[in-house]
Amino acid sequence: MANTITLKRRIGSVRNTRQITKAMELVAASKMRKAQEYALAGRTYRQFAYSLLTRLSAITEVGEHPLFVSRPVKNRLYIVVTSNGTLAGAYNANIIRLLTRRVLADQKAGIKTKAIAVGKQGAKFARRVEGIDLIAAYTEIPDHPEANDIRSILNTAIELFRDVLIDDVSILYTQFKSNLVQEATSLSLLPARFENTEEENSLNNTTFEPSIDVVLDNVAERLLEVQVWQALLESLASEHSMRMMAMKNATDNASDIIDDLTLAFNTARQAAITQELAEITGGAEAMK
Amino acid sequence: MIRFELVSLGGVKFSDDVYEILLPTLDGQIGVLPDHMPLISAATHGVVSVRHNANDRDDMMDHFAISGGVVEVVNNTLRVLVDEADHADEISEAEAQKAFELAHKMKAEAKDQVSLEHAQSLVDRSAVRLQVAGLKRRHRR
Repeated sequence: MANTITLKRRIGSVRNTRQITKAMELVAASKMRKAQEYALAGRTYRQFAYSLLTRLSAITEVGEHPLFVSRPVKNRLYIVVTSNGTLAGAYNANIIRLLTRRVLADQKAGIKTKAIAVGKQGAKFARRVEGIDLIAAYTEIPDHPEANDIRSILNTAIELFRDVLIDDVSILYTQFKSNLVQEATSLSLLPARFENTEEENSLNNTTFEPSIDVVLDNVAERLLEVQVWQALLESLASEHSMRMMAMKNATDNASDIIDDLTLAFNTARQAAITQELAEITGGAEAMK
Repeated sequence: MIRFELVSLGGVKFSDDVYEILLPTLDGQIGVLPDHMPLISAATHGVVSVRHNANDRDDMMDHFAISGGVVEVVNNTLRVLVDEADHADEISEAEAQKAFELAHKMKAEAKDQVSLEHAQSLVDRSAVRLQVAGLKRRHRR
């Protein structure tokens, strides 16, 4: 009987685990939907900022603006977006792998690497690895970030770039392609780029207040901001989506284990009954 | 009428034909009326006020607290791109007051330049929010 009792206990414990993973799956699913909606809401903003920049570029030399100057890369800054929690499948591993690959390539080319980590997992990794100079770690980004939450990330990056302490800024984040496909991606932020389209020049008789340079500054920063913002939200959506998948797999797996254990339990119970019956009939035969 | 579009990172906050918009820019407050000349300007943190119809009284205006942004007037459309825009109804005065005091405390306790700047931006932001929340209260009377 001892065997059936342990089996029963194990079934109970796996069942408890399944309940937890199921709950985590549902939580992640609802968070993912919200993050997705949020990510979509930023789109209009980006379109406006792009269109404004394109039109500005028609009347002024945008390329000479300090944030648009490209120079030989000696120092590179990565903004690495990871999660605080674990149990999100390959979410953090993918980003860390991408970062490692980039850092190795940079080292070969003699480029020094700095990093700003978003999320505890990325910070933990960057701190441990030699060759990455971790300048800041943001682990307090909430599920519904506000513009204020990314302000200081941007300010740090822009300041370092203006002071020529770094020559290139990229953000490593997880692109949310669909509910099933998420991909670790690198997006170049600085020097800022824009597409030079031959749009009709509608800014010819426009007044600029206080000056065109201030406006350009402002637009460039807005554009950066929206890129970081978008990357952050897509990462959030990806994180929740991958966590949901991981938890779904865990739940399915737990169900499989429960099935196996139940089968083993039934077999053991049946064997015990058969044995008992055999013993009784054996005893009865002996009494004759 | 002039089209007014207020776009924040969180989405489109306002989009409608209105009569007049008051905006805080780096050079001071400006008012935009229909058929304004083309203009591109930088907005600073402050209050954006919208008058829907020419005859609306001041207490019928809509108010938004904004942080810095870009303002563009073109083809009788005013577009404002801002980090955040909160309508007066979305701000609770008590919370704004608390945030304002907290920001001041942070500023007083700031040890280095970076945290001082951060605190200052929080002070500015919460001051505007508080102002907008106050505007709302006045209208209720």
